[in-house]
Amino acid sequence: MTTAIALTRSRRRFSDHQVAIALLLPIALINVVGFMLPIFNLARFSFNRATTGGGIENVLTLENWTGLLRDPFYLELILNSIWISLGVTLCALVLSYPIALYLHRSSGTWRTFLTVLVISPLLTSAVVRTYGWIAILSDEGPVVGAIKSVGLTPPPLMFNINGVFIGLTEILMPYMILALMAGFGRLDPKVEEAARTLGATPWQCFRRVILPLTAPGIALGCLLCFVLAVSSFITPKLMGGGRVFLLATEIYDQAIVTLNWPLASTLSILVLIIFGAALVAYSAVLKRLD
Amino acid sequence: MMLERNMTASPSRTAKVAEDHLVLSEVGMTFGTADVIPSLSLAVRRGEMVAFLGPSGCGKTTTLRMIAGLIAPSRGRISVGWRDITRLPVHERDMGLVFQSYALFPHMTVSQNVAFGLEMRGIAKREIRVRVETALEMVQLGHLSDRKPRALSGGQQQRVALARALVVEPSILLLDEPLSNLDAKLRDEMRVQIRSLQQQSGITAVFVTHDQVEALSMCDRIVVMRGGHIEQFGTPGEIYEHPATPFVASFVGRTNRLSGVVEPSGRLAAAGQGLLAEGALPVGQVQIMMRPHRVALLAAHEHVPPGHNALRGRLTGITFVGDLIQANVRVGEDEITVEQPTRRSTALPLMGAEVTVSWEAGDTMVFAGGAT
Ligand SMILES: Nc1ncnc2c1ncn2[C@@H]1O[C@H](COP(=O)(O)OP(=O)(O)O)[C@@H](O)[C@H]1O
Ligand SMILES: [Mg+2]
Repeated sequence: MTTAIALTRSRRRFSDHQVAIALLLPIALINVVGFMLPIFNLARFSFNRATTGGGIENVLTLENWTGLLRDPFYLELILNSIWISLGVTLCALVLSYPIALYLHRSSGTWRTFLTVLVISPLLTSAVVRTYGWIAILSDEGPVVGAIKSVGLTPPPLMFNINGVFIGLTEILMPYMILALMAGFGRLDPKVEEAARTLGATPWQCFRRVILPLTAPGIALGCLLCFVLAVSSFITPKLMGGGRVFLLATEIYDQAIVTLNWPLASTLSILVLIIFGAALVAYSAVLKRLD
Repeated sequence: MMLERNMTASPSRTAKVAEDHLVLSEVGMTFGTADVIPSLSLAVRRGEMVAFLGPSGCGKTTTLRMIAGLIAPSRGRISVGWRDITRLPVHERDMGLVFQSYALFPHMTVSQNVAFGLEMRGIAKREIRVRVETALEMVQLGHLSDRKPRALSGGQQQRVALARALVVEPSILLLDEPLSNLDAKLRDEMRVQIRSLQQQSGITAVFVTHDQVEALSMCDRIVVMRGGHIEQFGTPGEIYEHPATPFVASFVGRTNRLSGVVEPSGRLAAAGQGLLAEGALPVGQVQIMMRPHRVALLAAHEHVPPGHNALRGRLTGITFVGDLIQANVRVGEDEITVEQPTRRSTALPLMGAEVTVSWEAGDTMVFAGGAT
């Protein structure tokens, strides 16, 4: 038996290892050319100097970085971006959690139907959905109308941070729901029942059993939504009406409008650093949960 | 309460018959259109362990879940110690439930699992520590208290589940096929352990199983269930020796089945040969049953002691299995299996030989109606 296996092994032309490398090579190449090189380029630009008229002077300088950290406008923009992304993530989590839990517990065609409902917004582009929100939240829209009809003065919802917040939350919710459901694997209804028979009230059962067991899903969903929120561009651009300044919109302005590529590169690398920090936080949370 | 006091005061109570503790009155459960449990009534006495025994799908788990409050019965009333708990939420019922799949909290250590119920009851930290330790010692798992459940074997997880349910000293312990995921050797050990823990604590317990050996060997009384209703409720001895229905006779222990008649004169006969049986007999077509190991295989003309039945037949198969001889004997249309312990001097009869099978009149079980 063992000799037979050894024989077939030796007769094969490539080892498993070689096959694996051959299969991974195309995607590795694409990644290097399409991802690593541009990133490397960006990093290099961030240490170059911008000249008037959109040129790049090829000198090694730290002035983009020091300028960024000294300028109160940019410091506020960075902090704003992070706070809004965290807030949107939290809102998306609170709104998505019950939906994900309900989906996790339902079964059969009903579950399939609901899952399709959750995913279907992803089939429309974020541009279309953002315009949808603009129609809903604008001064002539149904929300403002409804608030006015009960005799209250509505807060401004459109072309400010409120609109961006609402729009981003809804647009990111499908991702949050899917990530939560992916992380709900350990949640066994029998375990909840065990907690209930041991005297746990529904709230205690949620707090002590359901929440800890769904924590990996929560961490995953938050990571995903935070990253998507920090890098979101279309929704803040359209719903902010040019009055909400966030990292992604500023990168666009610097790269396309002002043609200051070194500054745009610096901000882009900063976004990557924020992602890195989020990943580190996520790994730390996962390790603690285990 | 009033009733209880009166009863203890009355002289007739000195015989000390345990009172009813868990009572189900005409409890029914319908899932959609499926009437899983039409109507079930039974009373479990304080301190006894009762088995719900029946084939898979007969409604044992459903009944247990209604008692625990995990599902609400469609009809009827459940009470514990005179108190109606039919509408009481799960967490107020004070029942310990051991699941077939153990259902330990995967994110907690063994001792955190066991401490959970005590914490829910708001017991002081120091007392919790002591009681958890005692409970884990009781199931011989003190040394594993810091492990996570996934690092335990099946038998160890089962014992943690048991400790977790017992540590809160619930009024009633419910066990849903707690041994069916264990291998045979462990099952025997756990059987003894569960029974002795139950007897030590004097807790009222319901033990769900589809395994007749577990029910017979561990429990004070057995409810034999089939298709959502009770076939018989009695002690293991009653269930085994005096099964109420052919189903009970064949589900609990093994049986031979013969078709026969009871003539209007009261004479019982099978394959044209007269038979003896104890008790009143139903006139008409009957099923006659007896246990294989209570039947003896004799040579055709061997003497049959008085009070014994004898049927003539032809030997159609014989197997020597060391401890036992299994023989098949054709009697009329039916076949009887005989099991006999072997002796050194046992001479095996030849295949096709004329033989007599014999058993005590008292071992004859007679049920009205033809074979189904
Ligand atoms: N939630 C439910 N919905 C529909 N049918 C159910 C449900 N739970 C159990 N049943 C049905 O009830 C019957 C009894 O189930 P169960 O009590 O689990 O049987 P047992 O524990 O004796 O094997 C089965 O036919 C099962 O299909
Ligand atoms: Mg069951």
